[in-house]
Amino acid sequence: MNAVLWPLAIDVRVRERTTDKRGVRIWFPFFVLWPLLLLLVALVLVVSAIVDLALLLSGGRYHRYTLLVLSSMRLLSQTRGTHAHIDSDGSLVDVDIY
Amino acid sequence: MNEDRKRILDMLAEGKITSDQAEMLIDSLGAPAEPVPAPAPSPSAGWPSGPSAGGTPKFMYVKVRSSGKDTVDVKIPLALLRAGLKLTSLIPPQAMEQINESMAASGMSIDFNNLKPEDIEEVIESLREMEVNIVSTDGDNVRVFCA
Repeated sequence: MNAVLWPLAIDVRVRERTTDKRGVRIWFPFFVLWPLLLLLVALVLVVSAIVDLALLLSGGRYHRYTLLVLSSMRLLSQTRGTHAHIDSDGSLVDVDIY
Repeated sequence: MNEDRKRILDMLAEGKITSDQAEMLIDSLGAPAEPVPAPAPSPSAGWPSGPSAGGTPKFMYVKVRSSGKDTVDVKIPLALLRAGLKLTSLIPPQAMEQINESMAASGMSIDFNNLKPEDIEEVIESLREMEVNIVSTDGDNVRVFCA
């Protein structure tokens, strides 16, 4: 399994081509949320593991919540490198996930 | 530049030079072309123009060019697609039924319950050789490829 590295930063730029305004740029350092996210994921994993175990012992047909949480985290990490550029009706929108 | 031309015309008026000489001098001034401002580099300027011939593609590109000069460029990591498809196989059955119903209501009758892990790998492999190129009569162009 490849290393899971959450996004470092998210950059969103919105600009109006027709006006002289510089537009709006939001550069969000996602990595500052990593410690909080790590704590949250650890907590969720513990709960999901207990639920899975309980479902397994009770004969539940679905007991893969732990895997679901891990896969969700993996999905989040794979968003790195995503880029969207939209130029429509004089409006420019750029979204980058680093 | 205007001063040079004026001086030549003055010399012509004073009879110091002939009209042919004046014309030659004016031509020799040769007004340089106005510097054309370079267009702002598009964020997608460095993107590949088509599917990669060899190697492992890492991104899926979606490019839309409309006749109204609207453009859409999207670059999605293929790993994200793989992770997303794998996630669908882990969604609880109750939630998956709701997803399938919602998608069917939207006109997309895809049953994700039938999506197996081996199918996911096959889908990803197929994407690597895929290229969709749609050109409408309006001049709109949509391209989807992996590189």
